[in-house]
Amino acid sequence: MSDLVFLAASFAFFCVAVLYVYGCQSLKGGRDDA
Amino acid sequence: MTPNGWLQIAVFFAVLLLAAKPMGLYMARVYERKKTWLDPVLGPVERLLYRLTGVDPNAEMRWTEYGAAMLIFSLASLLLTYALERLQHAIPLWNPQHLAAVEPYLAWNTAASFTTNTNWQAYVPEQTMSYLTQMAGLATHNFWSAATGMALAIAFIRGIARRESKTLGNFWVDLTRGTLWVLLPICLVYALALVSQGAIQNLKPYDTVTLVEPQTVTTTGADGKPVTTRVTTQTIAQGPTASQEAIKMLGTNGGGFFNANSAHPFENPTPFSNMLQMLSIFLIPAGLCITLGKMAGSPKHGWAVFAAMAVLWLAGVVTCYWAEAQPNPLLHGVDQRVLSAGPGQSLSSGGNMEGKEVRFGIADSALFATITTDASCGAVNGMHDSFMPLGGMVPLANIMMGEIIFGGVGAGMYGMLIFVILSVFIAGLMVGRTPEYLGKKVQAYEVQLSMLYVLIFPLIILGFAAVSVLIPAGLAGISNHGPHGLSQVLYAYTSAAGNNGSAFAGINANTHWYNSTMGIAMLSGRFLMMVPMLAVAGNLATKKIAPPSLGTFPVDSTLFTVLLVSVILIVGALTFFPALSLGPILEHLLLRAGTSFS
Repeated sequence: MSDLVFLAASFAFFCVAVLYVYGCQSLKGGRDDA
Repeated sequence: MTPNGWLQIAVFFAVLLLAAKPMGLYMARVYERKKTWLDPVLGPVERLLYRLTGVDPNAEMRWTEYGAAMLIFSLASLLLTYALERLQHAIPLWNPQHLAAVEPYLAWNTAASFTTNTNWQAYVPEQTMSYLTQMAGLATHNFWSAATGMALAIAFIRGIARRESKTLGNFWVDLTRGTLWVLLPICLVYALALVSQGAIQNLKPYDTVTLVEPQTVTTTGADGKPVTTRVTTQTIAQGPTASQEAIKMLGTNGGGFFNANSAHPFENPTPFSNMLQMLSIFLIPAGLCITLGKMAGSPKHGWAVFAAMAVLWLAGVVTCYWAEAQPNPLLHGVDQRVLSAGPGQSLSSGGNMEGKEVRFGIADSALFATITTDASCGAVNGMHDSFMPLGGMVPLANIMMGEIIFGGVGAGMYGMLIFVILSVFIAGLMVGRTPEYLGKKVQAYEVQLSMLYVLIFPLIILGFAAVSVLIPAGLAGISNHGPHGLSQVLYAYTSAAGNNGSAFAGINANTHWYNSTMGIAMLSGRFLMMVPMLAVAGNLATKKIAPPSLGTFPVDSTLFTVLLVSVILIVGALTFFPALSLGPILEHLLLRAGTSFS
């Protein structure tokens, strides 16, 4: 049971991290500041 | 403090200074895929790996793709290590002590720890991990996590160096080349050097020897009553130590093959091996300053960043050495001066020797502690918990500054570059011009994400530490009351979030609370900081490079170095000073007033 919890926790963390990638990208919005 | 101690510190820095340039230029060639003398041997291996994995080495990645590849790789390697720990008892390979499966909380904590280059060890390795787990699970992770950090630093440097580019390179290529061309060859030679000094390398079962002087030991039994045992034998752990030791130091990983880490004579046998270990912690991070200068087209900027790191390192080591060389004020009536028995022969260390190896003494212990926490290494050759309060504060403060004083392999460089961007931004504000960094405008997006990077770190540390000193599960692990207990908890989460891995050894962190929350702190401190850093790099890469004008702030000047050091100190001091005041600073003042805490 604990193994499943830790597997799920690991997947959940990395899913959040991937969403975080797109969150950071979306912060830029439509700005063109090059 | 002795002339011998100062001489060793000076020799360390002189050798580092000499090694940084060739190392940095070599790494620039490796990551720019230029010819090196190892190509005839490693080129075919590299091509074979790409063919087997289906990687197109010429495919470039945007920062989001680069980040996603890094996250997928890290998740896969975390799960692999977790599975290996849980199944080690069932694998009939290299487990001569028949060690049981690692308990789930501890296994997950350890998997997260090695994935993030932290190498926090809430376990006794020689009693917990089979040789297979140590080699296939932990030592391989030492290579992977180090190569990942280096790859990300190179991606950041490319973001600075490239003009109007949407890509930062290829994560798989950078990972492969960093491992094959940088880490493996050095570790091969380095492991042999350690063996020459006496580090062990074998797959034998543990030895059992008869004690020359049998000992009577009294412990507390399960019923709470004292149990007296006559101990006549000692088990001496064995294992493939030198190979793991080499990457442990070079990759700024820090996870010891034995519980005593680099204080164990099988890991760190001689003062020469000790000097090699300290140098190898800083070798790649110092070299990366030169790589930055080379790849960004401004060698002087690389040296200016190196100078800022060196100044902060020197301030730390001087403070730590001074603090440890002071007599302990609680030892009234004991002459703690350096007593000479003749030329070059000292009878007393002249300071605090608790928790230190007599082979290394005060100077090399203070130097090692400073270096291992400047970098995100976390290997220890003395127990930081036993340092004097201000001596112990130096390692803690080093990690709190973000481990950017040379720092972890790769992580130190990209962390420092975030501070460079903030420094350039502040300089721009002061003169009222749009800040530019090596010809690229630093604008709102870069500053927002840099501040996100800077703020996540204290949020993790102070948040978890605050909860831990309030709840019974957190308080149960503390071995000292008062400010020292707070320092233990603060150090644990600082070490976890900073991916350092060293500990104030007094804390018992092998509990469900600490194993799970520190695992989260390690993952957050690694990946939630890497992502905004990559976003900054990705955005910088898209920008034009403007030629320098009269209003451009020169980032290769002494003024820049001074500003960079000031920004690092101000950010670190403002963020953590209140917590440090309640921990080591208060303990220092109370100790001088004659109060200590059990």
